[in-house]
Amino acid sequence: MLDQLFIGFATALEPNNLLFIFLGVLIGQIVGALPGLGPSAGMALLLPLTFGLEPVTAVMMLAGIMYGAQYGGTLTSVLIAVPGEASGVMTAVDGNAMARKGRAGAALSISAIGSFIAGIGSVMAVALLAPPLASFGLKFNAPEYFLLALLGILAIGSLGGSPLKSLGAALIGLMIALIGVDPLTGTPRLSFDQPTLMKGIDFIPVVIGVFGIAEVLASLERIESVQPIRTRLRDMWLTKADWMKCRFSIVRGGAIGLFVGIMPGAGASIASLLAYLTERKFSSTPEDFGKGAIDGVAAAEAANNAASHGAAIPMLSLGIPGSASTAILLAALILHGIRPGPQLMMQESVLVWGLIASMFVGNLFLLILNLPLAPVFAALLRIPYVYLAPAILGVSLVGAYAATLDITTVWMSLFFGVLGYLMIKFDVPRPPLVLALVLASLMEMSLRQALLLSFGSPMIFVERPISLILLTAVIAALLLPVFAAVRRRRDALRAGVGTGR
Amino acid sequence: MRLVECVPAAFMLVLAGGIAIGTSGLNLWDGPTPGARFFPIILAIAATAVALALLFAQWRGFEKVELDFPTRLGAARVGATILALIALAAGIPLVGFVPMVAAFVALMLIVVLRQRIAISLMATAIVAGFIHFVFVRWLSVPLPMPFGI
Repeated sequence: MLDQLFIGFATALEPNNLLFIFLGVLIGQIVGALPGLGPSAGMALLLPLTFGLEPVTAVMMLAGIMYGAQYGGTLTSVLIAVPGEASGVMTAVDGNAMARKGRAGAALSISAIGSFIAGIGSVMAVALLAPPLASFGLKFNAPEYFLLALLGILAIGSLGGSPLKSLGAALIGLMIALIGVDPLTGTPRLSFDQPTLMKGIDFIPVVIGVFGIAEVLASLERIESVQPIRTRLRDMWLTKADWMKCRFSIVRGGAIGLFVGIMPGAGASIASLLAYLTERKFSSTPEDFGKGAIDGVAAAEAANNAASHGAAIPMLSLGIPGSASTAILLAALILHGIRPGPQLMMQESVLVWGLIASMFVGNLFLLILNLPLAPVFAALLRIPYVYLAPAILGVSLVGAYAATLDITTVWMSLFFGVLGYLMIKFDVPRPPLVLALVLASLMEMSLRQALLLSFGSPMIFVERPISLILLTAVIAALLLPVFAAVRRRRDALRAGVGTGR
Repeated sequence: MRLVECVPAAFMLVLAGGIAIGTSGLNLWDGPTPGARFFPIILAIAATAVALALLFAQWRGFEKVELDFPTRLGAARVGATILALIALAAGIPLVGFVPMVAAFVALMLIVVLRQRIAISLMATAIVAGFIHFVFVRWLSVPLPMPFGI
């Protein structure tokens, strides 16, 4: 493993790759700092720009945007109390409270250091866990792949939000992916004799529309001018007491983040919330939480960065993305002609280990960008969002066109932009749609191949030990939200009886 | 339950119906092999079940409905932006990509977002320049040129 990691470092440290890792984390930092534009939107908008690059360089750059955005989101959370994305909500509470007390620099410092330590720890976990998981994945056949993909989609529904709406969004994604040609027989399907539809719905216009355009449309509803709290370089120093208070918070937050990140569907938002709540239990000053607790900020930021790296483990080892960002990373691999799956670590070892090594390098870049240069990035927040919104829309449409050189892609991006906007308005989660779109082909192919192997008998899913375990997990993922809803309902009824209502 | 809350479920039902009708000419099974219609039908059935479950949950109050609709001004701004985007896409083959994006940005900043003209034009020039240098010069993307040239 060490040999491969060294080869990975040799790849990541090539001047061209170093440049694109730096560009990736820099763009991620900026994207994360812009309210309303998360890592998924940033990666979607920049995906077409990577087509001229070598696959390994492209993936390093896109991954840089993914984890760079976690660092960037801290700026808006701390300085204007508007999280760049959902995973920064807990930081916005305590980080901004610290900033209002004149400790913005300390909040930004501990966030950057916590994110760095947790990020490096998670990348080490990726390096240690991904190869054995991939070896285990080699035992998988069609039934296991179908159930694994199904589990990935269902897991999103069972963790937070509305399970039915999440499942609905995933089904919409799967149904969109049906358009085009049947992957096994080559028969045109749902194309209605339209040559454009015959090619199928490309991933890029969907993701640019659903994440990029939809986010900007939603943010245009309310244009608020918020002045960020000023911060100076000399305010960035941490006291010894800060260090003593945060050292274990970072470790705990990082561990929680890594564990949650590996689980499909959980993601950085749940990780940071769990880490924050856990830290409040461990803290010697729990009464400070919500009023500017530095250990709360450290735990939440360590967790969201660790989760963002941890999500790479199932993606690299099994080809199953655990989040919207890793789904885009996976789509980037496919668009660059690389087949994801357990074989990836053997067949594309330079790419995989180069990517892992690039995460070490990228985190180091981000630490430098976020410690001495935090005040410079804070100045970016002074650019009014109204000037950025039309530019983002224009550039995203150019990006969509550049991906296929077909004007239909632009129209599709607009359609999916409006669909994504309506999904935001109707509180329907968007990541399941994108995740399902990426997994659709794998799901259909493996389901049909499994039934072909068993001459149409569904018993194949219970006769194989691994698939039986996965099937049990699928059933649990289906039933868990039902039990949770019943319990919530019962508790609500009891509370109603208790209060005499 | 308000009628507007049914929209996500209704959309899923329409999509499921469309899938079932649109694949009616395909085989469900080709001998022992699942045919081209097999997976679409499974999805259509699942989508119908989820949509009906969602409607039931909303009707019985099991499902929290949090609709966040914009104010009249916000809705007008979003509507105008969508119209401007449609005009942008429609004008690209005739006017070219870079000029149309420039016109879109200028229109959005000056008319829709009511920003100062000088700064808006400066921002427009920066965006047009960025697209030209990154996409046309650096990446050599053959963007449609003005008047189909």
